[in-house]
Amino acid sequence: MRQLPFEYAYRNLGRSRVRLFASLLGSGLVVLLVLAAAGFIRGMQLTLAQQDTLHENVVILGAGSEESIERSQIHASVAGIAAASIAGLREAAGVTFVSPEIHTALPVWASADDDQVRHAMMRGVRPVALLVHSEVEIVDGRPPRAGFDELMVGGIASTRLGLADERLAVGRTLYFDNRDWTIVGRFSAPNTVMDAEIWLPITDLQIATRRESSLSCVVVTLDTATFADVDIFAKSRLDLEIIAIGERDYYRSIAAFYRPIRIMIIVTAALIAIGGLLGGLNTMYAAFAARVREIGLLQTLGYTRGAIVLNLTEESVFTAACGAIAGAAMGLLFLDGIAIRFSMGAFAITVDAPVMLTALAGGLLVGFVGAIAPAARCLRMPITEALKAH
Amino acid sequence: MNLIECRNLTREYHKADTVIRPLDGVDLDVERGEFLALMGPSGSGKTTLLNLIAGIDAPTAGTIVVDGVDITRLSRNRLAAWRSVHVGYVFQLYNLIPVLTAFENVELPLLLQKLSRRERRARTGNALEAVGIADRADHFPRQLSGGQEQRVAIARAIVTDPTIIVADEPTGDLDRPAADDIMNLLTRLNEESHRTILLVTHDPQTAGHADRVIRLDKGRFVSDRRPESVAEAPA
Repeated sequence: MRQLPFEYAYRNLGRSRVRLFASLLGSGLVVLLVLAAAGFIRGMQLTLAQQDTLHENVVILGAGSEESIERSQIHASVAGIAAASIAGLREAAGVTFVSPEIHTALPVWASADDDQVRHAMMRGVRPVALLVHSEVEIVDGRPPRAGFDELMVGGIASTRLGLADERLAVGRTLYFDNRDWTIVGRFSAPNTVMDAEIWLPITDLQIATRRESSLSCVVVTLDTATFADVDIFAKSRLDLEIIAIGERDYYRSIAAFYRPIRIMIIVTAALIAIGGLLGGLNTMYAAFAARVREIGLLQTLGYTRGAIVLNLTEESVFTAACGAIAGAAMGLLFLDGIAIRFSMGAFAITVDAPVMLTALAGGLLVGFVGAIAPAARCLRMPITEALKAH
Repeated sequence: MNLIECRNLTREYHKADTVIRPLDGVDLDVERGEFLALMGPSGSGKTTLLNLIAGIDAPTAGTIVVDGVDITRLSRNRLAAWRSVHVGYVFQLYNLIPVLTAFENVELPLLLQKLSRRERRARTGNALEAVGIADRADHFPRQLSGGQEQRVAIARAIVTDPTIIVADEPTGDLDRPAADDIMNLLTRLNEESHRTILLVTHDPQTAGHADRVIRLDKGRFVSDRRPESVAEAPA
């Protein structure tokens, strides 16, 4: 099958600037939309999947609180008992990787005279937490010291609090539990829920929450031990009323909780994308319908229907590709990294390679499907009738 | 031997319960190098006959043999390939592609043939030269007059050196001087290059350029004669 030159497809783009603009805008918007939806879902997935966890952590929490660490209450002694009872936990420099923690949401104010209540995700920790959660990296300042009303904030905690990022710079303060707390450090834990949290010494948080003798959970890092070892420990200590759950499994179950939201986003994006597709179909149909006589001429000259469909598809896909690239560039510039708040914390819209490929494929699909149907419709007309078209 | 042989050629259309028969069992023989004009009132079947011989329409019944090939037996794609080699079509409204230059419009049929770029360009240049429009090669159709556009269309029709040239009212959209100009060009192509030309026209003066004129009415031939007597015959 001899092909029509691509030059013909390319030059046809210049026939109507309005149509060209509509086509570019259509495919660009579809790509931007798919990028936003896919980036949103991807960011949420990455955050909740905790994929960057380097070590296999197991969370020990209160029985019956499997769905929410914040609701969990276990005795403060569990950390010491676990460290002594479970063989094969990771150790470094004489420190066993056992991190007692309190997870809670607390009302926070920017200052004493601030009227707006902000809900912060707080995590009370000991220094060992930085070993157990190895993805946490202090990027500015230092860890907070116990008894000095100090804390450190995650990379996107400002989004969670609805404050400007510079408002949480080292040296600034936050107000809660009737006093100012100084920010002495900033940490980064990309693609984890911790990135949206505020960390402070566990003893300070115990006082602030009036739960001196209890913890939310104990997180341990396995070395030669397996999950089963921790699980047996939890099940054998009926007096402690605890259960063990893999950290990844815990966040996976949280991710499952948010599945309806993801489905809703996908459906909304799909509906709008279908709207874009129908717009593309309409634009291309108008473009091809105006060229029915020309299509008849090409057939008269000896070009096959296949060659003509291919050329019309090239024209449509080329336009869509240009729009898609523009949309993708805008998405990368303006969407990537935008932090989104949700009940557990915050996560960032992630425009990575899979998301970008999905969005670009969506844009090209608009061009492809947008051309095939109108081209087929034009070509169904007998040549003699096509040559009479105005 | 005849170049074109049509036997019992019939074309029917169905519209609701009505059968329309623009061509009703005609026989036609055309010799190689002949210049044949088809005349008749609107709806007489002349354009239908032209389109059938050009292979852009299919008969309901009958056979069309062109240069030994029964084109009614060819598949859609083989018929398209046959057209690209054997037929040059000239339309009343020129049908040039507006986004291509005159040169590119003429070159378009050659892209279907296995030719080197150099040979393609040489043949395109020769065709434009033959119709006297080589100096407008880089012009787009909108930059040409009607007569010039039709010259480009004729160059496009002859560039593949087709077996037959079919022209459907090629002067119908032109004023008299431009129409005479185009007819003189077609006559010259017939006389000097011995090209076989089939022409549809309403105009007796245009038909006067042909070797032979066939009149149709209601899908049948009503006369087949030399042009001297055409101008006097009732239209």
